[in-house]
Amino acid sequence: MHREGLGLEDAELARRIAAAGERIDAEAESQLYRRLAPRVRLYGLRHLRDPHAAHDLVQQVLLTTLERLRAGKVREPERIASYVLGMCRMTVLEIRRGAWRRETLLETYGDTPEAVEAPEPLALDAEKLAGCLEALAERERSVVMLTFFSDKPADAVGAELGLAAGNVRVIRHRALGKLRECMGVGEP
Amino acid sequence: MSQAANGKHAGPEFETLVAWWLGELPAAEAEGIEEHLFACAHCTRRLEVLAALGLGIRAAVSGGMLHAMISKGFLETMRAQGLRVREYQVEPGGRVECTIKAEDDAVVSRVRAPLAGVKRLDALWRIEAGGRVEELRLEDVPFDPAAGEVFSLPMAATHLRKMPAHTATMRLVAVEEKGERELGEYVFAHTPG
Repeated sequence: MHREGLGLEDAELARRIAAAGERIDAEAESQLYRRLAPRVRLYGLRHLRDPHAAHDLVQQVLLTTLERLRAGKVREPERIASYVLGMCRMTVLEIRRGAWRRETLLETYGDTPEAVEAPEPLALDAEKLAGCLEALAERERSVVMLTFFSDKPADAVGAELGLAAGNVRVIRHRALGKLRECMGVGEP
Repeated sequence: MSQAANGKHAGPEFETLVAWWLGELPAAEAEGIEEHLFACAHCTRRLEVLAALGLGIRAAVSGGMLHAMISKGFLETMRAQGLRVREYQVEPGGRVECTIKAEDDAVVSRVRAPLAGVKRLDALWRIEAGGRVEELRLEDVPFDPAAGEVFSLPMAATHLRKMPAHTATMRLVAVEEKGERELGEYVFAHTPG
């Protein structure tokens, strides 16, 4: 599977941060944070289903990663993306077990400089999206509403609408294609 | 596998990313997708689009910007997520006096109908307001045949709140090979809240 160009740049930045140690390479840290933040946020949204919790996950995972890179505690900086994914998995487990406290994050990293601010996530025009949803067929609109408002997989959506799961996937795929086209956010 | 416009990327199909997002994939496959995502800028961008659509759809529902035929489960989810829903129930041939108050986030009508054996259901609306008549046909609306009712969610924010007193009549019809069979007519007499 080809992977489009993140690994090398991530690794180079991670090596710079580790080499600087306590002298702190602020530019490399800021760049790495901005590159990794969207991935961690998406992982958090997928597993925690809450934008605020996903934001907290970004801070917890990336600030800890930067700290460990500086301290030389990351054995393979060239595999930094895998390292961060592992941290995400562990932190989400802690959050689910109730073993994670937001207060601890604030106490530890409360004075973090703005240099590690994450990029704003993609936001769509709400009125335009509502218009695109209205333009869908009734069945398509109901399927995407049930899917994304309730975070339900195809079998659960199908059970509520009297449809087979496979049929729901077909309707969902078609509806998402129409929405992406209508919003101008198709395949880059 | 999908091919990007530049011809270089071969990652998961968009539908596979959607399946991962919704927790439909087996654990091993889901872990493989996650490892790919953390190393692929192209898939990160595609997933950002999906996340933005998901959050946007959620916001549009919460903001009363959509109309739809929904399910009982959807109504329960709306309440579970803290939306204040005013609910009406209407039988075939029935009439309901309805409104939407400032404190309501949404209005849902539970419309009873004999749905057993119905394959396709259309909803025909006739809205009379201020001497004007608007007619609308919603084709092939989703429904659970076993439920014996459908749930109508009108646009609260962008439509219902702005409407003067009016009467909306809905006819539910089963569309069959032989033609159409009326299942019921329902009258909603709306007054502003």
